[in-house]
Amino acid sequence: MKGKLYLLRVLQYAFLLSCFILAVFPFFWMVVGATNTAVDIIKGKISFGNQLIPNLNRLFSDYDVTGIFWNSCKISLLTVLGQLLFSSMAGYGFELFSSKTRERIYGVVLLTMMVPFAALMIPLFRLIVSFNLLDNHAGLILTSLVSVFLVFFFRQSFKSFPKEIIQAARVDGAGEFRIFCSIVVPAMKATYAAAAIYAFMTSWNSYMWPLIVLQSNEQKTMQLLISTLSSAYFPEYGVIMTAIIISTLPMICIFFSLQKHFIHGITGSLKQ
Amino acid sequence: MRRWLPLFLVLLLLLTILGTTVFAAEKSGKITIWAWDPNFNIPVMAEAKARYQKVHPKVEIEIVDMAKADVEQKLNTVLASGAREGLPDIVLIEDYNAQKYLQAYPGAFADLTKKINYKDFAEYKTELMTLKRKIYGVPFDSGVSALFYRKDILAEAGFKPSDLNNITWDRFIEIGKIVKEKTGVAMVGFDTADGGTMRIMMQSAGQWYFDAKGDPHIVKNDAIREAFLTYKKLVDSGITKTTSGWNEWVAAFNKGETATVLTGCWIIGSIKAEASQAGLWAVAPTPRLNLKTSVNYSNLGGSSWYITAKSRNRQVAEDFLNATFAADRDLYQKILVEQGAIGSYLPSQNGPAYTEADPFFDGQKVYADFAAWMREIPPVNYGLFTYEADSAMMTVMPDYLAGKINLETALKRAEDQLKNQIAF
Amino acid sequence: MAEKLPPLTLSSLDKKRRKVSFNNRYGWFFISFCLILLALFMLYPIISSLIMSTFSSRGMISRYVGLGNYKRLLHDTVFLQALKNTLLFFIIQMPIMLFLALMIATLLNNKAIKFRGVFRTGIFLPAVTSLVTYATLFKMMFSLEGFVNRFLMTTHLISDPIPWLVDPFWARITVMIALTWRWTGYNMVFYLSGLQNIPDELYEAAKIDGANALQQLGRITVPLLKPIILFTAVTSTIGTLQLFDEPTSFASGGVTAATIGPGNSLLTMSVYIYNLCFKYMPNFGYAATVAYVIVILVAILAFVQFKLAGDRR
Repeated sequence: MKGKLYLLRVLQYAFLLSCFILAVFPFFWMVVGATNTAVDIIKGKISFGNQLIPNLNRLFSDYDVTGIFWNSCKISLLTVLGQLLFSSMAGYGFELFSSKTRERIYGVVLLTMMVPFAALMIPLFRLIVSFNLLDNHAGLILTSLVSVFLVFFFRQSFKSFPKEIIQAARVDGAGEFRIFCSIVVPAMKATYAAAAIYAFMTSWNSYMWPLIVLQSNEQKTMQLLISTLSSAYFPEYGVIMTAIIISTLPMICIFFSLQKHFIHGITGSLKQ
Repeated sequence: MRRWLPLFLVLLLLLTILGTTVFAAEKSGKITIWAWDPNFNIPVMAEAKARYQKVHPKVEIEIVDMAKADVEQKLNTVLASGAREGLPDIVLIEDYNAQKYLQAYPGAFADLTKKINYKDFAEYKTELMTLKRKIYGVPFDSGVSALFYRKDILAEAGFKPSDLNNITWDRFIEIGKIVKEKTGVAMVGFDTADGGTMRIMMQSAGQWYFDAKGDPHIVKNDAIREAFLTYKKLVDSGITKTTSGWNEWVAAFNKGETATVLTGCWIIGSIKAEASQAGLWAVAPTPRLNLKTSVNYSNLGGSSWYITAKSRNRQVAEDFLNATFAADRDLYQKILVEQGAIGSYLPSQNGPAYTEADPFFDGQKVYADFAAWMREIPPVNYGLFTYEADSAMMTVMPDYLAGKINLETALKRAEDQLKNQIAF
Repeated sequence: MAEKLPPLTLSSLDKKRRKVSFNNRYGWFFISFCLILLALFMLYPIISSLIMSTFSSRGMISRYVGLGNYKRLLHDTVFLQALKNTLLFFIIQMPIMLFLALMIATLLNNKAIKFRGVFRTGIFLPAVTSLVTYATLFKMMFSLEGFVNRFLMTTHLISDPIPWLVDPFWARITVMIALTWRWTGYNMVFYLSGLQNIPDELYEAAKIDGANALQQLGRITVPLLKPIILFTAVTSTIGTLQLFDEPTSFASGGVTAATIGPGNSLLTMSVYIYNLCFKYMPNFGYAATVAYVIVILVAILAFVQFKLAGDRR
């Protein structure tokens, strides 16, 4: 019996470890790639080379990477803030002050998740032009201030929030918006952390819409830069890998710092 | 004092007029240019910009570097939305797409018939940008096709350079078999999703997927039938090395795994990227099909510069292109040497860079060859639906090559798919 | 609720009305920003593209066709192939991925396993990578002489290289592997959070009753996780039917590529939409029609999934 259990454990670890290696290996390779030349990478070399500095030099001398990185940061941070605020407010509104009309609206809102973005691009572009926001980061941020997925996510989370606390605050004479800001939000920190990771992920990696809205070199984002780099007849893979590492770092940092909350946050939203 | 005032005003007015005329002579304003490929078109344009700005320092030029698909996506979105804003002044358009954009977005591009001396450009290029007798755009690089081959490998199999001159595809396959047998090296790289070779074959016979009226012309098209048969012979002969995607295909000849490369001349940069193979390469004209109409010259790819009609600085943009790509012979020498870019501006082709022997090709004057072949390319109207047709061809190709369907069925299916795709 | 007794029936009615208006006032207030933004940036484009779907166009030149675009779909072999490819991914890849995610999550929920945090982070990591990154990596790894084939050949698992991206069948397999790699960890996190709500005592009791691991999974985990499984299934359905990134980046045959994967084996509906807009003669009306086919399909599939899960709504 003991031996059987032992064997099971070993199998379990072996399974987990192989999943882990499979998941992490491409990252390892990416780092190796950044230290090699394009020809070496194409030929399939998987040991560290000495090209990191030349690759970095090439990247930073050909493109304003600092500026582009900052653009990405600015857009993502503002988008995340907006999405957290407006989506959580909406989720709260739908959950705590429900009515027949609003439930119907909620259904329609959820349906919009299913429309592919490509179908909306042209009318959306027309709108941005009429607002005079072309080639402007505001054009990107404004259109993504609300995420339907997050409205849904927040509403699910608020379901588990103890309503008595809100009642008590009302009796104390607190206004509804103040209750939301100073009682509900702090209590749901984990949910916000989870939502922040999700929002940051989508905003940081978004590509098609920034491509359409942004026009000049100064406004570009990291994803657009990487796409440009990979489009050459003969792509400089070492340089591309270096750029990719730079663009992945913030994602990994944010996930590492918020990951504890992430799991708890999702847990909260999934309680019924 | 009061008496002087009118005089003073008149003087001021005169000065202003004088000032503006002086300024008008001096070009100024900002133009934006969209293009793709940071190793090719972008540095070429940067060179043109630097040369122009030496003469006109007040003109600001921004070159926006994007992926090719991205340029096309942006251009379509902005044009379709009908917005006046958001377009560049100059945009690079691939020749296969030119007629499509010109006809789908009437009035979007500037008519340059009277602004550019088109006699200076290769005929087949201007043909592509002509719509209802008006000519749009300034021709840029040529995709004149060529057979690049490894002299050393072919010599090992017993072939002299003259054995590869002006051959047919059948001869090419025969040579390939011997090369494969004697050296073990594959003759040519082959990508299952790539329609490039098909286009080279068609144009060498002066044919395209469409007839003169613009209707699909596949089942009864000699050149396409012959091309399909040749494709199958190529694959069945076992002389190809299968690759998937661009990088693998490039890697195959960089690693010396194929004896030849058959594509547009713009590939030269990628061939030269493998410095260890210097001196081993040579170039011959493209093989021709088994048809009387087929010649040993063809084309793959190539693109041209277009000015948008609503450009705020249209005159500056026109002047810029006229002074650089339609006049500056030295510019063409420079980009030939640095980027391997072969322009279709004929007067540039007796310049020094074109007549020089290239040590990478063991002293062969490859650029002079390209220039000579370029004049012989049969002009073809690519029409509106090259990509739809390409997709229809290559969708049936795997089944045809595997022997699951015969030629008639394959062509019929392709034509049906194409007809459906281009319905309006 | 601690409410005082109403002194009069009239005022109680009044109170009820007041409560409704209170509810409405704040209800509308909280959702107003969201609704204004969505109306502008979602509803307007949706209506606009619905109108567009009744036109057939060549760039700026368009013609009213009513429902003609929907009729055209039925005879469009390329569309039918795209539909078939997309549904293949949905039927084969999605269940495998969700099952794998559930397996890993159950293991990582076991407190006897060490380094759970490390495993969890590592396996989630693929979900945070950008598309370009992983497309580039996978294309190189799965090339004919790429890392995967060399590995399989040196370990003598295969004798000839597998034509990963060259053969229509293997091309689909490659994309399925890539999709699974990228999204398993993401779904795992949802299961993991759900599992934390299931009390350990349930499993203890099951063990005493002699239930093995598989029975525990079937009798406790799956039924209790049903809402979450439903959630991941619906979001994955949306993702799969809108599949765009992987096919386009894995199939690119360079500047002269003609099909999406060998013989168009990787063409999905979203890619077809893209091609109709940007690669072919731009027909935005027809493209919008294909987009609404996706919407209808997602709605049907999601409805079926809700029914299968026995959801009350």
